[in-house]
Amino acid sequence: MAVVETIEHEATDRTPAVEFDFSAGKYRLSGESYPEDAANFYGPLTQGLRQAIEDRASDEVEFTVEMIYFNSSTAKALMNMFQILEDGAEAGLKVRINWCYHEDDETMEEFGEDFSEDFEHADYRMCPLT
Amino acid sequence: MSETAEARADASALIAEEVLGFQRNMTRRGIIFSFTGYISEGILKALGDALRQKIRLESTDTKTVNRVFSVFVEQVQNIIRYSAERIEHDAEPPVELSSGMITVGSENGQFFVICGNVIGRKDADTLAARLRELAGMDSDELRRFYKEKLREPPDEGSKGGSIGLIEIARRASEPIQFDFQHISDAHSYFVLKAYI
Repeated sequence: MAVVETIEHEATDRTPAVEFDFSAGKYRLSGESYPEDAANFYGPLTQGLRQAIEDRASDEVEFTVEMIYFNSSTAKALMNMFQILEDGAEAGLKVRINWCYHEDDETMEEFGEDFSEDFEHADYRMCPLT
Repeated sequence: MSETAEARADASALIAEEVLGFQRNMTRRGIIFSFTGYISEGILKALGDALRQKIRLESTDTKTVNRVFSVFVEQVQNIIRYSAERIEHDAEPPVELSSGMITVGSENGQFFVICGNVIGRKDADTLAARLRELAGMDSDELRRFYKEKLREPPDEGSKGGSIGLIEIARRASEPIQFDFQHISDAHSYFVLKAYI
């Protein structure tokens, strides 16, 4: 199977900016997310991530999330990606997750804390922004 | 003026009276807007933008604006996904319209979001049980339950909707209200009201 090297999308009103560089192991999602069809938007991203982690496309992985708002179907998609990352870390890959949020945004802070509970092997960091 | 034109003018005056009365009644109830009919994702986006702008102008704090918006999005997406009155057509782009009602307003310093739509009678029991369970939970329990549901594969036929209901309950400032009315052997009308 041909390896997809990058997926990039500019942010729209209802979907986040996506910068997934599989060979560099750098991933970033930022903005707002309430897509018309979350499975359609996040499906290819999740699949690409899974493939890259399985293939060890990079030695290290840094996954950064900087969201302002996301709906419940997006939360489910994030959870799926985080499970892939934690499984990769458990299998020995060096994985770091940055959960960035505005320091006054309690909702995003809470989500960040809740997601952190599922990481044992990956290095998960809360990154409050001013 | 001819007699017919006069008659038409009288009728117009009555229409204005009726429409104004209707609008004033809505305003009296604190309604910011109300939409009834076929709802699409495009309408969700347009109404959502108007809602955010309107409540931001009322110098509402960002946290409240975000909470109201979040409840609005989950409620409208529930109508789009679960309304039993729907039209689907394999046109290009595909047509997907679901019928329902969405109302946003404010009363006594709180915002409220109401949605109403027709669902299958069998689904009403499952939904009622789910909502009763949520109504009995405090904010910490809702937070834990949301997380638990995220870890699970989605319920069959739910399209992820159970997490949407938990999101609504989490953002609401008091337990969400819900009600059902049987409208036929096969269908019930479902109403959900959340205060923020």
